[in-house]
Amino acid sequence: MPFIGEILKYHSVSIVGLEKNTGKTECLNYIIKRLPTDYFKIAVTSIGIDGESLDQVTSTAKPEITLREGMFFGTSEKYYRQRKILSELYQISEETTALGRVVTAKALNEKKVLLSGPSSGSALKRWISSLDEIGIDLVLIDGALSRLSAASPAISDAMILSTGAAFSANIKDLVSKTAFVVELINLPLYINNLSKNINEVDATVSSFVDLDSDILKNSTTIGVEGALTDRLLQAVKNELSKGEKELVVNDFTRIFVSPDLYRAFIRRGGKISVRTRSRLLAVCVNPTAPNGIVLDSDTLCFTLSQTIGLPVYDIVKNNYDNEI
Amino acid sequence: MKFREIVDSPCGIRYCFDSLELQSGFARKSLLESPMSISKDEIEQKYASLKVFVDLVENNKSLVQNVQFKLQGLRDILGTLQSLEDGNLLDDIELFEIKHLALLGDDIKRMFVAARVNEDGSACLNIEWVKYDLDRVIQILDPEGLRIGTFYVYDAYSMELRKLRKEYEVDGDNDELREKIENEEDRIKTVLCNLLRPYSDNLTKLLHSLAQLDIIIAKAFQMKKGEFIIPGVSEKTILKGMFHPQIQSILAETGKEFQKVDFSYEIGIPSTIIGANMGGKTVVLKTLTLCQYLFQFGFAIPASEGEMMVFDEIYFCIGDEQSQNKGLSSFAAEMLRINNVLERVEHGGKVLSLIDEPARTTNPIEGRALVCSLLKMIYGKSNLSLVLTTHYNVDNGGRCWRVKGLVEGAKGISGLKMDYSLLQTENNEVPHEAINIATELGISELWLEEAKKYLDKTK
Repeated sequence: MPFIGEILKYHSVSIVGLEKNTGKTECLNYIIKRLPTDYFKIAVTSIGIDGESLDQVTSTAKPEITLREGMFFGTSEKYYRQRKILSELYQISEETTALGRVVTAKALNEKKVLLSGPSSGSALKRWISSLDEIGIDLVLIDGALSRLSAASPAISDAMILSTGAAFSANIKDLVSKTAFVVELINLPLYINNLSKNINEVDATVSSFVDLDSDILKNSTTIGVEGALTDRLLQAVKNELSKGEKELVVNDFTRIFVSPDLYRAFIRRGGKISVRTRSRLLAVCVNPTAPNGIVLDSDTLCFTLSQTIGLPVYDIVKNNYDNEI
Repeated sequence: MKFREIVDSPCGIRYCFDSLELQSGFARKSLLESPMSISKDEIEQKYASLKVFVDLVENNKSLVQNVQFKLQGLRDILGTLQSLEDGNLLDDIELFEIKHLALLGDDIKRMFVAARVNEDGSACLNIEWVKYDLDRVIQILDPEGLRIGTFYVYDAYSMELRKLRKEYEVDGDNDELREKIENEEDRIKTVLCNLLRPYSDNLTKLLHSLAQLDIIIAKAFQMKKGEFIIPGVSEKTILKGMFHPQIQSILAETGKEFQKVDFSYEIGIPSTIIGANMGGKTVVLKTLTLCQYLFQFGFAIPASEGEMMVFDEIYFCIGDEQSQNKGLSSFAAEMLRINNVLERVEHGGKVLSLIDEPARTTNPIEGRALVCSLLKMIYGKSNLSLVLTTHYNVDNGGRCWRVKGLVEGAKGISGLKMDYSLLQTENNEVPHEAINIATELGISELWLEEAKKYLDKTK
């Protein structure tokens, strides 16, 4: 079984998809089914509305999350009241989401549930820390549709990425787009040669204020407050001819730049580094798109794996249970 | 008057509210909704319990901190308790909330009992719930006797439920069975609600007293930390060494110290504060108002010693930015506000009114006349205490206080050295220090020279 052993090394793991219907939930179910529960306390939740039985956008059937006995889960009051699973209530949060407060309960039998946990990254972080009272060993987070925010290292220690035909129907394009995200996830940590303080940079800029070209010109390491956008990247790129530049971003979820510009920046000798990194444990693919397009699973897995240098799994087609 | 209505008063009470270390949102809400005490007995009673907790903070800090930690789990479940009272069927989540509350109350009660501050100890005299029997409520919601704060419709409630659930484990897709389980669960919940209903009143009281406990502990810590005192409840107000905590902390940030001042007033005799600009007159008024509100909401006050009077109504009139929104000039707004106070006095309640520089926005001749006549008119009113600040030379109708003012020859950190202490004086001639102070502030010399020439001419 691939990557299950890896997951157990972390306290929180998020499963995020690059698009809806890329098999994120399948992937979560796959993991849940194979995790040891007898000596391990596991909690599962999702960020934002998720776990609905029908895909809200494309109306295709969406698997619910099947919990095993003894697992903890976080969901909204509304879904808790509708649950079919037998469960024991442990906590109720003070914060509310659109579907009521977030309740934490322990599954007493094996059943499917609808998960809709904390609605924001910071609320999710608080929820995770509230689990200390229960003594949870591992938290699995189902990231909401095409949002990577749950994978921020500020929230989860490690991540699993799911991608597939729903993201792009052309293998070449899909591989290149996915590889770009993987490249961002694997950006190196910022190392300050002069001092150990990673908050220390020559200058700090924000993408949403007037860019002071003097600051960009005269600084080598430039901290980015908030998001890194095309506009800021372009401005820094223009200064590359005059000297070395390194952009320091908090983490990869703050980068919103187009692949072309990013590549051009790197080609010209620019550097981008992050203050905190998330471990990418594996990439899962779903070769089927909701509109009926099916890509060749083996070709997709092989090409993607070659490009990103990481194992890639199609867990629906192959269950990998005989692999070690 | 509720705390919510005065929390944003310009006297700065929000700072004291925000610095309270309340553990639960419900306590915060309860405090905001609490009414101002206008009876001497009530305030004395509040202070007696505050005193008890101040002693506890001193002598058994770990107990108080453990209780505080527990109180973090306090939730507002008034809606659930009301629903129980109304005879509704509660669901798992609501039953969990009730169990959680009962266990929380019981845990805290046990903590006090273990620390020997129980019923016969004086500590919890004002905490009624110590007397409530929570055992029965806990027993109803904890059939397995585990005393764990979790809940579901336990198998232990019914043989039938246990049997159905066993069957369902094998036959998980049987909807008929599922329905049977749901019906049995509902039957059990109905029984639980019927058993719990007689306790709903006590549980509501418990919830409120836990909020009060949270508030009083926070007040006790605030008193210790801020070096506040519990004033005596009396027929006149005498405050020694009073200070404004917010201004004190702002000054402390820049390495400056707040100069504490003494002040007193009584009913029927108006007090006037005169003194140079920047002499801290407005700060005195703010501090007096702040102390009065803190006193009547049962907080300790920022002073080194003191006794205070209880008022039915408190009015703090300070130059107000809101007047323009109502389409009134600042003069008109001020006049209407003072007039309102005068009307309230006629209603017979005991009124404290603190007015910052009345009639300062009109010409000095009429302005002075208005202030003098106000002082004369209210002199001897048996239900009004008035404190006002002014730059006008007013005929002394009452007590006059003077800010000591600029210390000649001495220089403070920012160039000026001001002595903010207040002295009672018979000489009500206002100080003529405006130009000196302006000079120290580095205002245009040309301008000030012209002003001096003008003054010489008019003399």
